[in-house]
This record gives sequence, C-alpha cells and structure tokens, in this order.
Amino acid sequence: MLKTKIYLQYLIILLDDTSVAFCHADNPLKEPSLIPLETLRKAILFGMKNNLMIQYVYPDYELPNEYNELIESIDHIKIGRELKIYNQVPNEVQCENFVLRLAISEFISHKNEIEGLLEKVTRLNICFTDIESFKDDQIEEYKQALGVLNDEIVRLHGLKKDPQVNILTDRLVLSEMHNCNAGIGNITIAPNGKLYLCPAFYYDERMGVSNQMNFRTKESNWSIAGLDYALENGFEIPNKHLLTLDKAPLCRECDAFHCNRCIWLNRKLTWDNNTPSHQQCVVSHIERNASRELQQKLKSIGEDFETEITEINYLDPFDVRKEY
Amino acid sequence: MSWEVAKRAVDYILGNREDFSESSVKFDFIGGEPLLEIELIDKICDYLKTEMYRLEHPWFNSYRISLTTNGINYATPKVQNFINKNKNNLSIGITIDGTAQKHNMNRIYKDSGKGSYDDVVKNIPLWLEQFPGETTKVTISHEDLPYVAESVLHLYSLGIHNIPINCVNEDVWKDGDDKIFEQQLMLLADEIISKELYEDFTCSFFDDWIGKPLPESELQNWCGAGKMLAVDAAGYFYPCLRFAQYSLRDKEAWIIGNVYDGIDKNKLRPFLTLDRCTESPKECMDCDVARGCAWCQGENYDAADTHTVFQRATATCKMHKARVRANNYYWNKLFRKLELEGNREEFEKQASKRSEVSC
Repeated sequence: MLKTKIYLQYLIILLDDTSVAFCHADNPLKEPSLIPLETLRKAILFGMKNNLMIQYVYPDYELPNEYNELIESIDHIKIGRELKIYNQVPNEVQCENFVLRLAISEFISHKNEIEGLLEKVTRLNICFTDIESFKDDQIEEYKQALGVLNDEIVRLHGLKKDPQVNILTDRLVLSEMHNCNAGIGNITIAPNGKLYLCPAFYYDERMGVSNQMNFRTKESNWSIAGLDYALENGFEIPNKHLLTLDKAPLCRECDAFHCNRCIWLNRKLTWDNNTPSHQQCVVSHIERNASRELQQKLKSIGEDFETEITEINYLDPFDVRKEY
Repeated sequence: MSWEVAKRAVDYILGNREDFSESSVKFDFIGGEPLLEIELIDKICDYLKTEMYRLEHPWFNSYRISLTTNGINYATPKVQNFINKNKNNLSIGITIDGTAQKHNMNRIYKDSGKGSYDDVVKNIPLWLEQFPGETTKVTISHEDLPYVAESVLHLYSLGIHNIPINCVNEDVWKDGDDKIFEQQLMLLADEIISKELYEDFTCSFFDDWIGKPLPESELQNWCGAGKMLAVDAAGYFYPCLRFAQYSLRDKEAWIIGNVYDGIDKNKLRPFLTLDRCTESPKECMDCDVARGCAWCQGENYDAADTHTVFQRATATCKMHKARVRANNYYWNKLFRKLELEGNREEFEKQASKRSEVSC
C-alpha cells in the first residue's frame, strides 16, 4: 500500500495532433491540427476548477498569438519548450533538464555519448520507445550500458556534481512506487475536446486501434468523457480502481520503484491495464539492479543511504509471484 | 478442425515441456458435439499416444482423454470402437439435463426443433455400464428453475448417482428467481432426506463446505482459466474456450496464440496473476457466505465495463445466497435425523466416498 495518496493533480493538454511525444508512446499523427481556441479555453477552465497543474504539450511549430496569450493565463509547464524532448542523442545540450527518447538498441550503441552528456545536465530523463521489442538476449548488453553511466555518475560525484538519471538515480531516493499514474494522478485532454487516460490512448483512437469492446464494430473509442460533459458533470473512469497500485498484483509487491508502470504498454502487451509485460518487468529490474550497483559504489566512497536496495535473483517478478 | 491443425497442436504441446510441466494431463474434447468428429478424435488420440511413447514423455503414463457429449451418437459402432480402444484412460460425460421437459427446453435438433431427450436417454444404460460412477453436468437458467428438484430426482432414477449442477453465471436472472430456486432446493432436500437418497446419491448444490466466510488469506481464483490451454478448430489458443469469439457476447476474443506461432505469454499474464481480492468488489470480500460462490472468468471478461479479467461478475449473488439457505436447511435437517438415529458419525466417516463435482 502506498504511503502517498495519489489523486488527480495534473492535466496534460495536447495543443496539436502533432504535439511532441514525451513518453514510451510515439506520436503517429503527421497532420497538424491545432486544438480549437474555445476547446483550449474550456480545457484551462477544467484544469482550474479541478485544481490541476497544467502541462501543455507543444508541436514543433510556433502557435498563433491568441493561443500564447491564453496559455499564459494560468500556471503551467511547457513540454516541448521549457522541457525539451530529444529523439536522438544531441550533439549539444541546450538545457540542463531534458527527455531523451530512444530505442534500447540506440541507447546501448550510444552509451558513450550519453555518458558524455552527464556532466552537462542536472537531470536526464531516458524514455525507451521500443520496450515491447526488448529481447532477453539484450539483457547483458543493456546491463553493461547502464554500468557505463553508473561509472560516470560515480566519477562526477567525486567532483561534487550529481546529475540525476531517472532510470538509475531515482531508485536511490525512492521508498515507494513513483509511477506515471495516468488516469489517477493525471488526465489528458486531446485537441478533439475529449478526455483520455493519456496521450497514447488518443493516438490509438486516431489510428483506429480497436478497444476490443465490440468485435462486430471494432470500435476504437478510447476516450473517457467529452470536455463539455466533464465540465458540467465531472467524469467517471470505468474500473478506475484497476489503475491503482493495490489492484496490480505484480506491481504492488515490486520494489522497482522508479518504473513508469505504463498502463498503455500494459494494455498493449497483456491486454489488461494493471498487468505489465515480461519486457517491461525485465527492463525495469535491470535498471533496479543497476541502481543497486550504483548504490554499492557510492557507499564504498563514503555515501550513506537510508535503505539498501537488496540483491534479488530474478528479473521478472512474475517468475516469483505468489501462487494460490 | 483439420488434421493439420490438430497435429500441430499436439506437436506444440508435447514439444514444449517447459511450458507444459504438469505431471499429468487431461485431453478434453468438447464442441459443439465432439462425437460428430469421432474419427478425427480417434486419429488425434492415436497420434497423442504414439508421440508420447516416442518422445518418452512423462504423460504417457499419466494421461486422460475426456469427452462431453450430448449422447445421441454414443452407441454407434465408431464411438463404441473408440471407447473400447481407450477405455482405461477415458472419461465420457453425457449431458442429460434432467426431465424430458427440462432437457428439451434447450437441447433440441437444429432443423426440426424437436427435443433430443428420447435419443439421449436410451444410451444412458450403456453409458453407465461402461463408465460406472460417471456424472452428468446439469445447468440451470431462469426458465428451468421450476424443474430443478424433479430433474435431479429423475437423474437419480436413471442411475446417475453424482449430479454436478450449477446456475449459469450469465445475467439471466429475474426478480424472484432466488425464491423459486430456494423452494426447489428445499423440496429436493426433503425428498433426498425422506427417501434416504443421501446414502448413495449426491448433488453438488448440497455441500457442507459452502456458505461460510472466506478468510482474507484465501485468495485463489475460482476458475482455472489460464492454467489450461484451449484450442479451437482454426488452431487459435485461448485461456479457456469461453474466450473464443463464438462464446462471447460483444468483447473481442482473448486469443493467446496459435498452433503456428505458439503462446504469447504476455497475454496469459493477467490470468496467472488473478486473485480473489483484486477482482472482487468489497461486498464479495466482506460476504459472510462467500465460500462456494463461483464465478466464470470468461463471463467476468464478457460482462466487465472495460477490457479486463479483473472485474468479477456478480449476477448470481442472490442465487448463491438462496443456495446457501437451502443448503443450510438440508444439512441441519440431515444431521439432526442422523443424530437421532445414531448414524451421524458413520455417515461423516463415509462422507469422503461421496464424490462431489462442482464447476
């Protein structure tokens, strides 16, 4: 059971169909289609009334002035502007905190360049775009690549620099799960004026991916509610409890606290929102174990930690699950 | 199913011992009506046996072939030859649903609409002679509630001693059905006790195990979906055939693989992490009579508000509670009778000989 209560705190507003992808899901939409101004106004009103911190997700083009004025009318974060998203290892770093979206194989093959970024950043958020394709024969390579970054973190620590790397250092300071929490901690409004658990489900709807609820119509409706309705009446997420940690049998026993616990990937790969795939679990546990090695190295040079990340002999908690 | 698909399924199952590591196996042929394809089934079983022998598979010494049939073709020469060939490792269940009236409500010939009871019942003596102690599986829905008691007694009169019987899990129940059901079970209870049928006959509705609360530590899922492999005629794999498209109302089929590509284990993960507390609403977890309350994972999926197996369907709640009340009546009455007769201890000693099969 989480000590921290998770409740709706964030509103993600996709400003355009081609808004940047910032997590595991790529954005497959290629045609720009700006959110109507009135829809944006209602989305902001929705955020204000529900006391949500707004995160605008930008496309890669400049918005009309009237949009910029409206956007500035409320506290917010600009994803794709203040928070930069890179889809390949940048040659030059233009900000100290950014998201790097890569395939795992690209991460492995560019590990030395990524290592070189660490002394230029305060925080690097690495997000893999192809976890579903991860194969068990990549385990050793991925482990080694994380080891390269670990060594650099330790070296920089000696120089009184402590860059954060989400998949390595977050676990050192977490004492419980810290996940994406789509649907329970945050909700998304798309340019079509509808609410979704996260942007990836909007993309699935636009790409006609069936929600598997009707085999005759193959409907691809993934939205939770329309914005107008939600403004008037609030909104309900069906089976919302199945998005929470305590209704995720594998995850609630797990200590890979840094894991995103991406429900879109869960749904895509296992067909159930609360069950992660083998690949997700293995990747998260390789990272968790790399965090443990980092912790051991930092301890050996005099650092203290409140709790120790224990040694485990599995990479997929499914293999050691409770069976009744 | 074509022979090619069947052979591929057998080759896959026998060739992947790591994924099928149980010490014993039951090969279950169901339909539609399996005996319509007895030649194919015969060929499959011959192949299974020869392959298990050739591969020195541990199952060669621990397997069972099982069929559930409507019984119409039971006495035909081809079926009888199959039975004789496989007798030592074979179970056959004939579905006879109770009295002719009850049976013919649902089990009719497609072309004529005529009930099949007469053509089934004539094969019961041969079946019981060849498979003494076999059972039939009786299913109760809204329409046949008034016939529950007489149907069970009728099946007893045919020589079937153990009757696994259950209410359907689907939401077919109307207001007042629980009362009718309870009355029927109490009627049945009175007949069983007054005629002392309890000595030699059982009915799964009456079980002294049910109707108590379940401790929080007892979390196992009721249903075995995901722990078996179901293969359809086209060669698709399912956690249970209730997840095949023809078994579902609206949701898309939950296919977990096929005979060409094998099992996608990710699609099985939700089933293998199911537990009672995750899928049950609070009311079920707090229920004072939870023990014995059954559910079907396929119906859970079919009825769920979202695409999940983690939402338990509760359409049978009132029916279970009615069963519990009638069950309590039965055991209180029976135990008191046995107590007064001085036979209770002996009866309970013999209780393990009374088999009870429940879904």
